[in-house]
Amino acid sequence: MIEFRNVNKTYNTGTEAVKNANFRIEKGEFAFLIGASGSGKSTLIKLILKEEEPSSGSIIINGKDTTFLKQNRVPYLRRSMGVVFQDFRLLPDKTVYENVAFAMYIVKATPKHIRRQVPMVLSLVGLSEKSKMYPNELSGGEQQRVALARALVNNPSMIIADEPTGNLDPDTAWEIMNLLNDINLRGTTVVVATHAKDIVDKMNKRVITIKDGNIIRDEKGGYDSEI
Amino acid sequence: MRFNIIGYFCKEGFRNTLKNKKSTSASLIVMCFTMLIFGVFFMIGENINNVMEQIESAQGIQVFINTDVSDEEVTQIGIDLKEISGINTITYVSKEDALNQMKEKFKDRQDLLTGLEENNIFPASYVVTLTDLNESSKVQDEIKNVVGDRLKKLTSKDETVSALIRIANGIRIVTGVILAFLIIISVVIISNTIKLTVHARRKEISIMKYVGATNSFIRWPFIIEGIIIGIIAGIASILIVAIIYNIISQKIVASPVISSMNISLLSFGQMFNLIVIVYLLLGVGIGIIGSSISMRKYLEV
Repeated sequence: MIEFRNVNKTYNTGTEAVKNANFRIEKGEFAFLIGASGSGKSTLIKLILKEEEPSSGSIIINGKDTTFLKQNRVPYLRRSMGVVFQDFRLLPDKTVYENVAFAMYIVKATPKHIRRQVPMVLSLVGLSEKSKMYPNELSGGEQQRVALARALVNNPSMIIADEPTGNLDPDTAWEIMNLLNDINLRGTTVVVATHAKDIVDKMNKRVITIKDGNIIRDEKGGYDSEI
Repeated sequence: MRFNIIGYFCKEGFRNTLKNKKSTSASLIVMCFTMLIFGVFFMIGENINNVMEQIESAQGIQVFINTDVSDEEVTQIGIDLKEISGINTITYVSKEDALNQMKEKFKDRQDLLTGLEENNIFPASYVVTLTDLNESSKVQDEIKNVVGDRLKKLTSKDETVSALIRIANGIRIVTGVILAFLIIISVVIISNTIKLTVHARRKEISIMKYVGATNSFIRWPFIIEGIIIGIIAGIASILIVAIIYNIISQKIVASPVISSMNISLLSFGQMFNLIVIVYLLLGVGIGIIGSSISMRKYLEV
C-alpha cells in the first residue's frame, strides 16, 4: 500500500516537481503512472523509493510513514519493494543466475534458500534455460525479464517499474506488461510509470496522470488524449 | 550463514584488489615507503631507549660522605636515601672498599698507598642509579637535602646524560611529525585507489542500494580491499626492514667509536613482535580509514 498525503517536492534548483500530490494505491492493485517527460513522474517514483525526500507532506508505505524514516532504515524499506528500470541495470560480469542470486546475497539469504528461490523466479519469467548466460548474450526483453526476476526474488510486497518497456519493441513490451500483470494477479502491488499509450489503453487499469507536477486525473481506463 | 557473508566480502575484496593492479601497486609502494621510514625512526628510537637504559643502569650518581661522619650516621644516610623517589638502586661503598678499589687501580704502584691502611683518607660513598635519567637533577637536589652538610662531594655525568636526553627527545619528536605526515599521505593515496574501484563499480553499488543493501554491506568489500593492501605492505616492509637493519646494525656495532663505548644494539628479533604489531595496526588502520573516506560520497543514493 502506497499513500501520498499533500506531498510537495521542490528541488534545490527551485523546480517544483510535485505539487500537492494525494493518492492511495491499495495492496494488490495495478496502477499506471503516466505523464510526459519532466512532468514529475520520475520524482514520484524517487519519492516512493525514498531516493528523494518530500519537501512537505507525508508518504505512507505499507502502513508506515516514511517521512521521518532514519537513513539507516531505508535499505529495509527498499526490501519491501522490487524495482525495475528502463535500462535494466544488470551486472554485466555476472550470469543471469548470479544477477538474481545477488539480490538475495544482499539481504543475507541462506545458500539453501538462494538455491531454491532463484530457479523458481527464473522459471516464472521464462528464463530457466538461460540461467548460465551473461546479460550481453540476451535480447532486451530477456534482460528486462532478468531484472524483473531480480526484483521478485525476495518476495517484495510491491513492484515499482520505471518505464520498464521504454527500450523494448512493442511485442516484447507486451510480454513484459503481461508478466507484470501475472505478478499482480499473484497478489503483488504493481506501479508502472510509462509512456506506452497503446498498452495503457488496452490493459484498462487504474491510471494516475501527472502534468507539470499536478495529478490531473486518477481513474480506471485509458491514456488521456489531452496529454 | 555468517561465514557465507564473510566469504562473500573477502572474495569481493580480493577481486577489487586484483582488478586495479596499477593503482593497487601504487598504494602498496607508498604504504611500504611510509612504513619503511617509520620503521627506521621507530628502530632508532627503540635503540636509543635501549642505550639510555644501559647508561642509566651503568652511570650512577656517586654521593661521597665526609670522613668525620660516624659509621652509624652513614648507615642512617643510606636508609634516608632509599626514601627518595626516582632512585633505582643504592650501593654502599665503605672506606675499606674505596681503599681496595684504589689498590686495584694502582696495582703496579703499591708504594703510593702505603700507610693508608692505618689512616684511611678515602671517604665512604653511596652509588645511586636512577630509574629515569630525566629526573637526574631533581634527584641530585633531593640527595643534597637529605645528606646536608655531611656531604663531601656529589659526582655525576650530567652533561653526557642531558645530551643523550636531548637527542632521544629530538628523535622522538621528529619521528612523530614525519610519521603523522606520512600517514596522511598514505591515507589520501589509498583512498584514491579505492575510489577508482568504487567508481568502476558505482553501477553495482547503485543496484545494491535499490535492492536494499545496507551501507555496511556495501562498504565491507572495499574496507577489506584496504586491509589487504595494508597487510601486504606491512609484510613486505617487515622483510625489507629486517634485512636493512641487520646490515646496518652490524656495521654500527663494528665501528670503532661504538665498540669503544661498549654499547650493544638491539637485535631485530628483540623488536620483531613489536614491529609486527605496529606495522599490521598501521596497515589495517590506514586501509580502513582510506577506504571509509573514499566510500562516503557513493553511498548517498
